[in-house]
Amino acid sequence: MPEKLFDIISVRAGLEEENEKYASVVRAYCAEKGIFLVHLMASPGAGKTTLLCRILDVLGKDVEIGILEADVDSDVDAQTVTAHGARAVQLHTGGSCHMDGRMTLQGLQAFGDDPPKLVFLENVGNLVCPAEFDVGADLALMILSVPEGDDKPLKYPLMFTVAECIVINKIDTAEIFDFDLTAFAKNLRPLNPSAPVFPLSAKTGEGMEPFLSWLKGRTA
Amino acid sequence: MKIIEVNRAATAANDKDAELLRAELRDRGIFLLNLMSAAGSGKTTLLSRVISDLRDRVPLGVMEADLASDVDAVTIENLGAKSIQVHTGGCCHMDAEMTREALRAFSLEGPGIIFLENVGNLICPAEFDTGAHKKVMILSVPEGDDKPLKYPLMFQESDVLLITKTDALPYFDFNLSAASRRAEALNPAIRIFPLSAKTGEGMEAFEEWLLSEWEAFLHA
Repeated sequence: MPEKLFDIISVRAGLEEENEKYASVVRAYCAEKGIFLVHLMASPGAGKTTLLCRILDVLGKDVEIGILEADVDSDVDAQTVTAHGARAVQLHTGGSCHMDGRMTLQGLQAFGDDPPKLVFLENVGNLVCPAEFDVGADLALMILSVPEGDDKPLKYPLMFTVAECIVINKIDTAEIFDFDLTAFAKNLRPLNPSAPVFPLSAKTGEGMEPFLSWLKGRTA
Repeated sequence: MKIIEVNRAATAANDKDAELLRAELRDRGIFLLNLMSAAGSGKTTLLSRVISDLRDRVPLGVMEADLASDVDAVTIENLGAKSIQVHTGGCCHMDAEMTREALRAFSLEGPGIIFLENVGNLICPAEFDTGAHKKVMILSVPEGDDKPLKYPLMFQESDVLLITKTDALPYFDFNLSAASRRAEALNPAIRIFPLSAKTGEGMEAFEEWLLSEWEAFLHA
């Protein structure tokens, strides 16, 4: 055996391993407190907060909903969802481009001893990094908005692979953008054969009903 | 509402390498622009328009950075511009070293203009100096006029803000003066050009800026 000249350290793997540990702690914490955690991901401006307001207006009638708002900075979204009846915690990632298990745990603990039973984690607006970090959620929900284009699964494959439900938002603008749902499905399905896809407009309310009843069934 | 700071250690030690690259490119007469925006805001459409309008006046090239896929590079090649596809292998931004490596593979010897089309992401690319001479960012109308509040670093770092998809203004609650005011509050020197790469409206002002910067670069 030749003498070992140097160590090779895969820092990336270490980081993910560390995160996995925290994600398990989040899962255990949610099980103990009876929390169903939904992880919401999308690009900036795809309509995460607007969709959450719709969910709050309908599902919020039956169950208390908590929202962890992750942002690089600012608290505009937390103010908005609070006005729609959510118990909100604003998480400042301090420039970080994604949430990880540790940050999620901190956010959940901020709800105290009697947390809401349904919690949405609204991640930082980003189609790349949030897909790489397991936050210990029960459901990964992503939004793609019509103006972004139907080719996005080709360009951000990991996000579309990890998503367990995909909302196509802003369909009220379909006539001015060249978004083809069939082309989208063709790009998506090789990556993700099973996630349900819900085209809707969180602004006008069109298409919200099937999505909300699916979500209600899944989170009940 | 609670606000929690969940900081991570900042990591950006490629500034020195970027300075070297910038100087090397200046010697070769290559004017490098770093084009940044969220996913789906129209980077490739904008570049297609710039190439069609200016390809007879100045040598143009495009480096397409993507996690995977080559759809954008194919689009640019079809317009007759020199183009290469850079696969970041899952990485959410380009840095100086990756840019240097990509330039090595590029057949544009100079002088000329090269656009680096960064990964679609409003966060991480803002943190990494690629060695470019100018930074150009896109905010598209469907993303909303509040984005400077949420992604301040990108707006602080950019020399130029292109507000694109202005043909969609009637369909969205996007206030052009509010967006400009918020961007200027972060970055008083930022140049703002509202335009539609799809209809061509407003392209001329940006292209004049580009040509005058190119002249200034050549004769500096």
